[in-house]
This record gives sequence, C-alpha cells and structure tokens, in this order.
Amino acid sequence: MKIEGTHTLRARRERVFRALTDPAVLQRCLPGCERLEKTGENSYSTTMKTGVGSIKGVFTGIVRLEDVRPPEHYRIAVEGRGQPGFLKGAGDLDLEEQTDGTTLIRYAGDVQVGGTLASVGQRMIQGAAKMMATQFFTALEAEAQTQEGEAPPKHGFFRTALRWISGRLQQILQRLRRSKRHPQS
Amino acid sequence: MRLEGEATLEPLPIPHRLNCLEGTMAKYIGQRVKRTEDPRLIKGLAHYVDDIRLPDTLHVVFLRSIYAHARITKIDSDEATKAPGVVAVFTGRDIGDRIGPVPCASALEGLKVPDHRPLARDKVYFVGHPIAAVVATDPYLARDAVDLITVDYEELPAVVDAEEAAKSGSPVIHEQFGDNIAYRLTAGEGDIDAALASADRVIRQRIVNQRLAPVAMEPRGVLARYLPGEGELTIWSSTQIPHLLRTQLALMLGIPENKLRVIAPEVGGGFGSKLNVYGEEALLGWISMQLGKPVKWIETRRENLQATIHGRGQVGEIEIGCKNDGTVTGLRYNVIADLGAYLQLLTPAIPTLTGLMLSGSYKIPAIQINVTAVFTNKMATDAYRGAGRPEATYVVERAMDLVAAELGLDPVEVRRKNFPKPEEFPFKTATGLFYDSGNYEAALNKALEISDYAKLREEQRRARDQGRLIGIGVSSYVEICALGPSQAMPAGGWESATVRIEPTGKVTILTGASPHGQGQETSFAQIAADELGVDINDVTVIHGDTSIVQYGIGTFGSRATAVGGTAVLKAIEKLKEKINRIAAHLLGTDASLVAFSEGRFSIREAKRAAAAGEVTAAGPPEPKPNGKKSVSLKDVALAAHLAKDLPPDMEPGLSATYFFEPKNFTFPFGTHIVVVEIDRETGDVKFLRYVAVDDCGKVINPMLVEGQIQGGIAQSIGQALYEEVVYDEQGQLVTGSLMDYAVPRAHMIPRFELDRTETPTDVNPLGIKGVGEAGTIGATPAIVGAIIDALAPFGVHHLDMPIKPETIWRIVNRS
Repeated sequence: MKIEGTHTLRARRERVFRALTDPAVLQRCLPGCERLEKTGENSYSTTMKTGVGSIKGVFTGIVRLEDVRPPEHYRIAVEGRGQPGFLKGAGDLDLEEQTDGTTLIRYAGDVQVGGTLASVGQRMIQGAAKMMATQFFTALEAEAQTQEGEAPPKHGFFRTALRWISGRLQQILQRLRRSKRHPQS
Repeated sequence: MRLEGEATLEPLPIPHRLNCLEGTMAKYIGQRVKRTEDPRLIKGLAHYVDDIRLPDTLHVVFLRSIYAHARITKIDSDEATKAPGVVAVFTGRDIGDRIGPVPCASALEGLKVPDHRPLARDKVYFVGHPIAAVVATDPYLARDAVDLITVDYEELPAVVDAEEAAKSGSPVIHEQFGDNIAYRLTAGEGDIDAALASADRVIRQRIVNQRLAPVAMEPRGVLARYLPGEGELTIWSSTQIPHLLRTQLALMLGIPENKLRVIAPEVGGGFGSKLNVYGEEALLGWISMQLGKPVKWIETRRENLQATIHGRGQVGEIEIGCKNDGTVTGLRYNVIADLGAYLQLLTPAIPTLTGLMLSGSYKIPAIQINVTAVFTNKMATDAYRGAGRPEATYVVERAMDLVAAELGLDPVEVRRKNFPKPEEFPFKTATGLFYDSGNYEAALNKALEISDYAKLREEQRRARDQGRLIGIGVSSYVEICALGPSQAMPAGGWESATVRIEPTGKVTILTGASPHGQGQETSFAQIAADELGVDINDVTVIHGDTSIVQYGIGTFGSRATAVGGTAVLKAIEKLKEKINRIAAHLLGTDASLVAFSEGRFSIREAKRAAAAGEVTAAGPPEPKPNGKKSVSLKDVALAAHLAKDLPPDMEPGLSATYFFEPKNFTFPFGTHIVVVEIDRETGDVKFLRYVAVDDCGKVINPMLVEGQIQGGIAQSIGQALYEEVVYDEQGQLVTGSLMDYAVPRAHMIPRFELDRTETPTDVNPLGIKGVGEAGTIGATPAIVGAIIDALAPFGVHHLDMPIKPETIWRIVNRS
C-alpha cells in the first residue's frame, strides 16, 4: 500500500535534517515510540506502542536509514512485529529548502501489513498513517525550532494537537495578511 | 396410577384420519403452521454451545498465523505457559501424530491430499492457520497469554491467485506434490468439439464466481468434556452433521465411537460451513482428555472469516455453441477451482457438482467441463449454500443471456426454446443425470404472468427513451437436491427417523437430520400430527444428540425434509400397523375392521366392511363381551406399554425406526424475474420488482418454504452486489471483519413476490423436492442479468460479481 504526502516545517533544512537523524529526537517525535536505540551505523532497534483504531499493540522492530545525503534525502526501511500483526515498509524522504526559510518534506513509501492489522485495519491504515505523519512532523517542527543545547520541547497528544492547530492558524493568518497586502490577487 | 388417569382422558376433538396424505383432510400438512422453534429463539431462551456452562470449564484461544505462507523456525511459549490462569499451551509438535489428520471425504482419482493436522507443524499455509492452543481458566486470560507466544517465521512467497497457482512457474505450496494442481477432471457427454465446430455461432466468455464467506450468525463453537472414570467424551459442537462428526472424531482421536457423544445444541445457521469436520473439534476433545476437565472454544467473527470454510471461488471460461434460432448445441466450461491450502471434508467435490449441473434446465446435447483444481495460500473452499450448483447455474444462465444478446433474441425465448418438454421426464442430461420430474415452462409462464413481462419490456423501452436505466433479468434454474442416493454420496445418502408413542400418548420423533434453522421441529411435527391424528403440540422432535438419536446423516443439500421427513413418514407407517392391531385387540375385532376417525378407533360398521369386501368368509368376529366401543391412540399407547392385554406374541412398546434410502436425487426448479433501475449519479442498483416462482414439489409448510427462498435470495443479492472475500497480493485477508466483508443488510433486500408451481416427484412418497438452496441458486444470475440488461445501451454483455456501484458508475459516466 502506498503512503505519501508533503509537510512544510517552519525551520531551516539543515536543522530539520539533523533532527530527522537524531534517534533521541525521533524517539520523542514518533507517536507511541517507547524506545529507539542505535544498533549500528544508521540502524536502530525500536519498540512502539501503536495501532489503527481498535487494533493496537506493541511492535518491536528495526529501522534502517539508507542512501543518506544530508541535508536533502534519505531512505528509511522499517520492519516491525507485534501482537496485532506485522509491518514492513520502505520510503524516501526529500527535503527542499523554501524561499521563506521553511522546509518542504516529501515522503513516499510502500507499506505491507499482515495479521489483524491487515484484516481489520487495512482500510483505515492510510488515514491513520496521515494522522501519525501529521503528529510526527508537528512534533519534529517544534524540535527543529529549539536551539542546540536548549531543553527539548515536551510532546504528547494534546500538546502536538495544539501546536498543529496553532500552526494552521498561523498559516491562515499569513495567507490573510498576504491577501491584504495584495488585494487584487 | 397416573398413567391410567392420563389414558382415560378424553381425546382431543381433532378431525383427522390415517393416510391423510392421500386425502384432503390434512389438518397441518400444507398449512402455514408457525414455527415451534421461534419462541425460544426470539426470547433468547435457546441454548447454543456457548450457553452450555459446565463447572470447572477451561477456555481455549488459538494463536493463528499472520502469514499466508511461511516456515515456522521457532515457537517460544514459555512465557505464555507462566501467565496468570494458563493451564497449558499446546503446539503442533506437542501433539505429533496423536490426533489423526483432518478428513477429506472425496475420493477423486488422482486427488492429492495434503496431511492436514489440527495445528500447524513446520509450515503455515494461510492467514488464520492455527499454530498453538492456549488453555486457561478464563477466556480473556487465555487471549492475553496468546500474545506472549513468540513465533519465528521464515516468510515464503504466497500463492494467492488461482490462475497463477496453476502455472508451472508458480511457487509450490505443498512441496511433496511438485505443483499446486490438486486434481484435474474432464467430464461430460456428447462430441463437444463437433458441436462447437458445427454451431452457427460460438460465444466465449470469462466468468468468475468469487470467493464468499458463509457468515453463519453463530460462529463455530466447541465444548468438550472427558469423564476419565467412564472413559466417555462428549463434544458439543455447532455442527450440521453430529453423527458423521462423531465417526470422524472417533477415528481422529482413536477412541471407540460408542464412547463418544456428539451433541449439536441450538445451531445458529450453517449454510454448509458446519457441514464439516474441523481440526478445532478434534483438538478440543483431545485437550479435554489430556487435562480431564471440560474445555470450551468459541470462535470470534475474525476467526470465522479467516478459518471457517469459504465458498465458490471459480474462474472459468465458457464456450457456448448455438444455432441462429437460439438452439444451444454445446457448452464447454474450462474452470480453475480455488481450493485453498487444505482439503476440508468436501472441498474437491464442489467443482464436480458444478460439472453435474452444467446442463441447467436445458437440453444441451454436448457438454464438457474441464476442472483444474488448485491449492492456494488461503482458507479451504467447501460447501456454501448451493455448493457448486450456484456456480453452474450462473454459468448456464449467463450463457443463455449471451446467446440472446448475440442473436438479438428475447432471453425468455432462448430459454423456452431449449427447455425439455414435460413429457421428456425423467430427462437425461449430457452430464449423466436423470432429472426426476419438471415442467420448466409452467414456472416460467407463471413468473412472466406475475411480472407482466410484456408490459415490463414496454415500460423499459419508454424509460430508456427518458434516459432512465432499467433492466430485466431472467433466470430459469434447476438444482439437484435431496442428497441423495447412497451410491452417489461419500458417506450414505439415506436418513433415519424413530417415532415413539409414549405411554401418555405423546409422540416423540428422533430424526437423524440435524436441522439448524430450517424449522423441521415444526414440519416433522406437522407430518406426524396428521399421520397419527394428534395435536401438533403433542409431538416433540428431537435431533442432534448421537446418544439419543439413532445414526443419521445430517442436514445439508436440501435433504432434511425430502429424505428425513420421508423417514418420519415411513416410521409412522410401520407403527400404524401395530397401532391398528392393538386397537383391534382392545376392541375385540379384526385389524381390518378398525376404523379411525375423530381421534378414536372403532369397529367399522359390518355393512360397510362387507361392501368394502373386507369381511372374511367366517364373518366378523364378535366383539369382546366387555370390549369398548372405541379406543383412543392414548389407550393404545398405554396398553402397548402396560403390556397386560396385548395380542399374543406382540412385542410391548410403541416405537418404530426407519432408514429411508432415496432412489434418486430430486430436481427442483423455477424462474426468477428481476427488474432493477440504475442510478446514473451513484451507480447504485435499486430493485423495482423481484418475482420468484419456485417448484419444490409438494409443500409441508409454505411459510418455511418462503423463508428459505427469501433467505437464499438475500444471500444471492450479497454475491451479486456486495460480497467478496479479498486477499491481498501477500495473501493477507483484507475482508477480515464485517466492516469490510459486505453482507447485505435488511434495507438492501427488496420485497419479494413469491409464488409456486407444484410438480411432485416420485423419488419419495411425500412428493417433496427440497428448497433450502433454491434462492442462492436461482437468484444470482437473474440479478446480474438485470443489471447487464440495464447497461445494454452502453454495449455491456457481461460484468463480474460483485457488481459494485463504482463499476456501474464508470460504465455510465465513461463518456
């Protein structure tokens, strides 16, 4: 099953890329990630508590980063298994610096699921993946906006939701401001 | 003494007579008697397997494969074994050969039968394949412990598509066989090549009968109790075939059959999915024997969709030859049958039933079926309501529509042209069957009349001019029922009944058929009440317990009433001879002079008897000096049991058993006419009319017949429009819950206009043909035909099921 999307982060590309390759940051940002440990060059083992709808459980697995080209690209391969089934996938992340100093992330991947996750959750997986991506990138943005050495921001469902909503509001306000400045367009 | 008191009660004032079937005074037969089963079902007072609670019962939950095809490299159940409440964990390796293989009853030549054990050993072959059984004091603790088992799999390429499975380059599921072909079969008579070569037209069409899930309302369930002291194992199972199951489980578990008792309590529907022997049934028995405690397993709906048999699953190509006037000259069906990973009880037999029924209700001189049956990494297919016959009917009826479309003829006329005439019965088909009786044109004509077909076509033309999409579909089906003569069945085709009249005059029927929703507790009581002249409430029908009921075959193949009901009738006939003799003895007369009316036996008037020529030369014996003028059935029953005053040498008691062997199958038939309208905006199909004229021979209870037809059509609507078992490319079951497996809901079912014709059969004395599967057999092609007819202006000749709104919308909106 294909999963793809884009996300704009209000942070510089280098900073975003660093956050995207920092296991501590990833662990904080990935919804339900309880553990993410480096096991070798660009490879990690992980424990995640996640699921789709009522099909929830603990997944353990490995994450590998391939074709790492800072600060614009890497490929991520994930393999996990847990009580609700298994999950196997790989995808590409591309980071583009925008003129306004923000970073556009494009992601596209292919995911295979099995077990209950496939037989009950399959139809909802794309929706769930979108939601998780939004949570992840919203949290990542907060991370990327902190200065090095600063205490990391706190995450959590409600905090992330608030950040996402405030991000959206800011976008809308910006758009409104821009249209005021150029009333003809 | 209470018994005497009972026996002297006044008989109930009911008009009745013996042998009422030959007369017109039947009180119950042919009447819309309300189902005696229903009050307990409606009030929730019935007892299904899960309602049976035994003290100290342990609960079983299965760990099932999440891969379609994989090698098991390691199973670690240590943690699960230590979990709270867990009593034991069993894996396939723990059991070894101590439980015999899950049986397949088919004995086709060259059939490859994989070794099928209740739990996987080295490999898993489908998603849902059981790997381990966790036994705990509570079902939820067992379920939690299942999560603690870790299985290391080595994933293997899954074989999902049946057509790909048949190809030589495909990965092989059962390595020992070298390929995935379970069997190949060619059948049929007539020179098909010549028939096709000499035809004016030959039409080819790829036809799919998609995989379906039977979805009985009650999933499977098993409760097993072993009593070590008595050495007795009792298995309560939601099954259609308690006796056959007992025999097979005795063989699998290696315990004497007479120490094994199978009870099918209330069974919440089967549709063929419980006409089987499942590994779980044997395993529960075995676990109970190991632990010496009762163990219970209740299937969840997800397990039901994964690991209870599926139905259909045929991908084929038809070639049909016809003359320009619409006469069909030959039909060839090359089909790949998707058997799944293992062979369940009747898995390989289903495509052969399709082959047998390929003549449909038509005279087709040359027919050939070429079956390639393949293994795939999916749950086994087996008998699902209709079992091979809906597939055949769909193929033949689609063929008739294609001929009509090709030649620009009315589909009704093409059918009429190819019907055998009533005087041609018994009619021999090119598939080797003898259709017992039939009048196909009568049923067709009645359906045309009810639907006002000519006017419908007129309205359709007018609607089309207004841009509305209305379609009319016709299906004239025939089915093979009342399975069947033992010669043609894997395990006996007869059915048994014991009829007992208790000392108080109450009538007990023990039937070997095992009804599970069909209503035979009512219809068999109707037969007995009329035959014995008792109130229907005095008759109790007992079934489904192998320790109470004599050996029987079970309920499937639209057989319970035609074969089992006949056994009831025959047992009563045996009994009536004895009743008459006892009555004569009590009246002090000869049995030939006993008359029965108004619930009482009395001495026939000598004059009438003389006129009837039944008086012996010596004249009628004098009545006993203290003889009664009349006696009731209760008096007779009491006398038979007290045995103080019986004719000399007569056995006491009042019971008779009959095993009825039918000499042939029966072949019910009918015509369904469907009118649909398609919504251009949404592609949705709306039923405007649904007319069904079914002929199932004589009818005991029209309400039960209608119920069967309605339910069958509803399931056909499911196949035509909604249902499909979907596995993805990796063999993952995508339709794993009722959110995704689309069974039709009540609002999707239209109002039916039902009627009947009645062509009796001489296969059984009741003249009954059977009706349980008629709806699923006759309806599907009519619904599909109607949709295709509605879409004819877009050049559509065929569409595969389920015909979803999306498919229709794309056709309508493609310009």
